[in-house]
Amino acid sequence: MTEELTPADPVKALDSDAMLVERTVAGDQKAFELLVIKYERRIQRLIGRMVRDVDLVEDIAQETFIRAYRAMAQFRGEAQFYTWLYRIAVNTAKKALMDLKRDPTVSENSFKSGQSDESDETSPLENELTSSETPDAVLASKEIAEMVNAAMEALPEELRQAITLREIEGLSYEEISEVMNCPIGTVRSRIFRAREAISEKVKPLLENQSGKRW
Amino acid sequence: MTITKFPTTTCERLSALADGELGKEELLLLLQACKDDDAAVGNWGTYHVIGDVLRSPSLAAGSSSPAFLQRLNERLEDERTRMVQEPVPVPLNVARREPAANDSIFRWKLAAGFASLTAVGAIAWSSAAMMSSPPGAQLAQAPLVNQSALPVLVVASPQGPMVRDARLEELLAAHRQLGGASVLQAPSGFLNAAFETPQNAGR
Repeated sequence: MTEELTPADPVKALDSDAMLVERTVAGDQKAFELLVIKYERRIQRLIGRMVRDVDLVEDIAQETFIRAYRAMAQFRGEAQFYTWLYRIAVNTAKKALMDLKRDPTVSENSFKSGQSDESDETSPLENELTSSETPDAVLASKEIAEMVNAAMEALPEELRQAITLREIEGLSYEEISEVMNCPIGTVRSRIFRAREAISEKVKPLLENQSGKRW
Repeated sequence: MTITKFPTTTCERLSALADGELGKEELLLLLQACKDDDAAVGNWGTYHVIGDVLRSPSLAAGSSSPAFLQRLNERLEDERTRMVQEPVPVPLNVARREPAANDSIFRWKLAAGFASLTAVGAIAWSSAAMMSSPPGAQLAQAPLVNQSALPVLVVASPQGPMVRDARLEELLAAHRQLGGASVLQAPSGFLNAAFETPQNAGR
């Protein structure tokens, strides 16, 4: 299928989370699914640092998303969506632990990372491996990281440069188009093709790892 | 800037959405397409894993599990069903008022009606009386005088020089009868003294 498209103006481009929230509130179930898939791993990692009992992690993550879904209409967009979601996750975990009358294995930093507006998705805290990670999961993570890096190395130069500028340097499509001296549509296409190429190699590993705990 | 024609697949739109570079119109098309394309939705998760790993290898930990999403969807479905089935609770502030103890006694209703009519009649009567009286009837009539023709005099008295203003004299004469005693229990005529110049004013 070929279409004439106008690129999303980076200045005017809306936050994709905010757009998905808006569609969820409008009743689009698929929009909520995309949010869940995007944040499921991060939320489980966050809860995994707070809760010693790994059996609880998935239950609390489920409850977090249910609560977020119920409260979605009240989300005003004053904070980033993930900050709001992290707060729900932390509160849900605390409540679950209180209900079970257990002592949470909580570090203050865990709460801060969930509650602070400035918390970064890739904060060093989140990068730390937790005690609940199983050796299998650690090995699988290492394999995935190696596979992604190998796939990156195998990419044609223009694809590797495009995805590096986007994912590592955090540039917008417009900025990348200036750096690479090509149209925004080409940037979008190159980043997509790079992701597809890496995805092909990584997917089998991810499918094996799917369902494993960390 | 205009983009040249290029093939747009669901996955490409997902990739642009992951970067926050998808317009609203395209998002609607994407969500519609995703309803029939579970594989594309799976790619969405993979794109985020790739991004995380590129930023930090340790973020490879964990993966999106279809079972997690399936279980969540089942719970959300139950929730929606329950919300539809549960009746909407009646707010407390619109709860029905209890009837008064004398609600069924007719003579109380009659008395209340009569009292209301009497009150309305009294108000109407007093309003009509006020409307019928000529406006300004209670104000003192004062002849028009040429103000410039009434001089202010300073006369000598045993207490010293006194200011004699003709207009003030007339005003005080007209109001002496009505004024009576002041709240200080002194005759209102003492006001004249207020216009006496101090005895040593000229010194």
